[in-house]
Amino acid sequence: MSVERFSTTSRASTVLRNRSGTAARRYAATWALVLLAGVSVRALGQEEKPEVARALELESAGKYREAVAAFKIAMKVAPGATALLGLERVSAELGQTDSLVAPLDTLIAAHPRESIYRTVQLRTYQILRRDDKLRESFEKWARAMPRDPSPYREYARILILQGRPATADSVIMRGKSALGSLRDLEYENAQLRAAMGEWIPSALSWRRALSDAPHLATAASFALARAPASARDGIRDALASLPAEPGPRRALADLELNWGQSQDAWDALRSLKPDTAAATMWEEFAERAYAEERWTIARDAYTAAYRVHPSVPLATRAASASLRAGSPEAVFVLVPLGGGEKDSSRSAREIMPLHVAALVALGRASDADALIARYDKFLVPVVRMRVAQMVATAWVRSGDLVRARQALATAGPEADSSEAAGWLALYDGRIGSARMLLRTARTPTPDLALAMGIIVRVKSDSAPQLGAAFLALARGDTVGASARFVEASAHHADVAPALLLIAARLRAARGDDAVPIWTRIMAEHPTSPEAVESELEWARLLRKRGDVAGATEHLEHLILNAPQSALLPQARRELELARGAIPPS
Amino acid sequence: MSYLRRVFLIVLLAAPALRAQRMLIPMDDGQTNHLKAYGLTYNAMKTGVQAEWLLNYRGGSFLLPDAPELRRRASLDGISFEAITDAQLSAIRREMASGNMEAVPLEKAPRIAVYTPAEAQPWDDAVTLALKYAGIDFTPIYDEQVEQGDLTKYDWLHLHHEDFTGQFNKFQLGYRDAPWFRDMVAKNAASAKKLGYASVPGLKKDVAERIRLFVERGGFLFAMCGATETLELAIAGHDVDIAGEFADGSPMDPDADTRMNWKRALAFKDAHLEHSPFVNSMSDIDGHQVNVPGRRQPLGTFTLFNFSSKFDPVPSMLVQNHRSVLNDYYGVTTSFTKATLKPGDIVLATEEGAPWVKYIHGDYGKGTWTYLGGHDPEDPQHAIGNPPTDLSLHKGSPGYRLILNNVLFPAAKKKPLKT
Repeated sequence: MSVERFSTTSRASTVLRNRSGTAARRYAATWALVLLAGVSVRALGQEEKPEVARALELESAGKYREAVAAFKIAMKVAPGATALLGLERVSAELGQTDSLVAPLDTLIAAHPRESIYRTVQLRTYQILRRDDKLRESFEKWARAMPRDPSPYREYARILILQGRPATADSVIMRGKSALGSLRDLEYENAQLRAAMGEWIPSALSWRRALSDAPHLATAASFALARAPASARDGIRDALASLPAEPGPRRALADLELNWGQSQDAWDALRSLKPDTAAATMWEEFAERAYAEERWTIARDAYTAAYRVHPSVPLATRAASASLRAGSPEAVFVLVPLGGGEKDSSRSAREIMPLHVAALVALGRASDADALIARYDKFLVPVVRMRVAQMVATAWVRSGDLVRARQALATAGPEADSSEAAGWLALYDGRIGSARMLLRTARTPTPDLALAMGIIVRVKSDSAPQLGAAFLALARGDTVGASARFVEASAHHADVAPALLLIAARLRAARGDDAVPIWTRIMAEHPTSPEAVESELEWARLLRKRGDVAGATEHLEHLILNAPQSALLPQARRELELARGAIPPS
Repeated sequence: MSYLRRVFLIVLLAAPALRAQRMLIPMDDGQTNHLKAYGLTYNAMKTGVQAEWLLNYRGGSFLLPDAPELRRRASLDGISFEAITDAQLSAIRREMASGNMEAVPLEKAPRIAVYTPAEAQPWDDAVTLALKYAGIDFTPIYDEQVEQGDLTKYDWLHLHHEDFTGQFNKFQLGYRDAPWFRDMVAKNAASAKKLGYASVPGLKKDVAERIRLFVERGGFLFAMCGATETLELAIAGHDVDIAGEFADGSPMDPDADTRMNWKRALAFKDAHLEHSPFVNSMSDIDGHQVNVPGRRQPLGTFTLFNFSSKFDPVPSMLVQNHRSVLNDYYGVTTSFTKATLKPGDIVLATEEGAPWVKYIHGDYGKGTWTYLGGHDPEDPQHAIGNPPTDLSLHKGSPGYRLILNNVLFPAAKKKPLKT
């Protein structure tokens, strides 16, 4: 049994309590800057008084002591928010927040209905930890402006930050009573409910707050992200309630991503009314999904954005995502050659390679060859090389090394030193050339790592059996490849255990019996790292089959006999799982 | 006898003294798996091996004979050990004699029972998690076995989040319709009926009474989380209706507070019951009130007291650790308010400046009790539905060490106090 979810506020309060003087000053300065952003709108229309301008200059120069004096003068000459906030900032930097108390009292006496002065006053007492004065200032403010939500809002925010949710709750309830509704306090109420672990009321409050203030979506998702699994459906219901509005849906999408539900995140956004705002959101979401390699979602989001705002860049991104998502045929629809893009050289540079990649993915190497030929005059060398390599790879997959070489030849003499040429050398068994060419490969891939791991350890420069094994692998013939790697191991004693292990992995991945190969590695190469891996894999298989005793025997043997192996932590973990000493993962 | 032969003979005779005689299991930061080290020591004792607990020496190390099987187990479990000679051991003992350190012989592995439903997974409870991980065997027992008198078969009993007031931790407030909650209520109600009780609170009170007797007669009790608070309430409220109407069909006695008999309780006194069925709290014993919005207190850190290992070996054993300040963690009952502690309670860990303590211990009759607040030392914000803690990721958990200290301390041979 366990306990309920807890607030972020408690942590915040601890942080606040422990905040050093410097941190507190920075905190105040940040608040002041945030507020200044709002105030400056008003100030923009006015020309700054010279005293204020001078004080700001001194502050910008980091001369805080001089700036304090200058802001104080400015407060006398031109009392206003700019001077006050400036004084607040530099006082915080110098740890002299207490010097704000007197000027604030004067300003508030002269302008009792000016919210910014009251807000700074609350903040000042918060930083000074004068809870009694903080409360008193709030009460005076509420009395002075009984129909204004600001006092309740500002004081409640401070209380939440201080980790005093119960008091914040009573302030919000007072505000509700005074104002007649929670409408103007939804944001604070939502934060408070989240801090108190009341997830559903918080989500409902966020839903209402976000309707008017969609820019708070990030704050909402941050506040609700810690909700336990049991509360999440309720949160979903609240934020997804109709009508579908950008703010709540954006918050829900962020939450779903946070909870690892990327498809649900997209589902939250896709039902928005297709307009400019939605398209912007979809495009942003697609960019994030693309960066996280969630190709299907990126494809759908780009496509949705493209439908609202058709453009070549969007279509290209959608096509690229489609290709990676395993829907190459979508490329022909999204970016037809000779479609939206009229510039042939640009088509050749940006769109044609997508078509080539799609054709290669569909196994249509001949069509890809023909397409390259059609655009040949527009191709720059880099693009020519890229597409030639794609086509060469397609020919290799189909088993035609001659056509692969021909395809590569179209890229010109540079192709001889390309990565693709390296692969062809490997398949031919010309290990020396392969070693040299593949070493310069720019993009590390698992295939490359596997090949390099072997060929750098092979001492001879010619290894046709090994080439045949890698060629079978490139063709997707894993059964044949496994047999050929076993065959090659007989010719290359220096990498025999590694080749046998590849063969075993290929078998195991297909669900075939790899035990004979593991046994052979352990018997013939007992001191090799591959023997340790073989024993570990064997034990894993036995555990999966329910043979706990067999798995335990192998794991204990491995741990006791290979104490220096890098696989020891994995072996220990397997042993824990076999014993039932840790929860099943 | 020639000179050379004499030298050879001397070397031969001296050789056993130079060979490794013992295995030192260090428990400071040099240990790679603190939790498994407890299992190694416990299981060694179980096979008749004599062990020693070197209190305050390198984090509370263990001393075992240097036997091949123990080496094998240590290697398999990734436990650091050092083979030491008699000469090295003598040096260690000299060092210990000069400071606040003491060697305590560990003689007999205690027989362990954990009060938990048969169908519960070991991952539901920090103690069973720790026992499973350390490889220490235990027997789950529940109401039926307790009512049959099975407690006499064990030396050490652990309780975790059971609500001995029979109110199911008031989880009906948030989980009334959750299948697991309904299932738990139904099973407990059926069990109460089968065992001849009118309600679950009636059954749980009797179980609490049997646990009290278990301690009084010499048993070792270790409780965590909600079991600490509710066991005490059930014992002190033995003759009072302290359960809400939803639990037994009748409202709580309005005079329950004044009718509680705290003399019967093990650790607490003068606590005030929470009368509202809508407030997820049992009493003011818990300082953190985690499930009560508005009352909940933030988590801090707690500090283990440093006892004299020579004069207070029992509390000293209970706080052996390689850390003295630990992060706090919530539970249904997270901490114990100082105002409700009995004068004889020994406080083992407290949060500086807070009105509560974290870890307490005391004698009762011929036995002892130890209470540790909170649910899971490595999951401070644990919530229902969260994944279980994987202790292979917390091999050196100081919080879990406190739990395992409790498992080993009943094995210690009582020595007469030095005066």
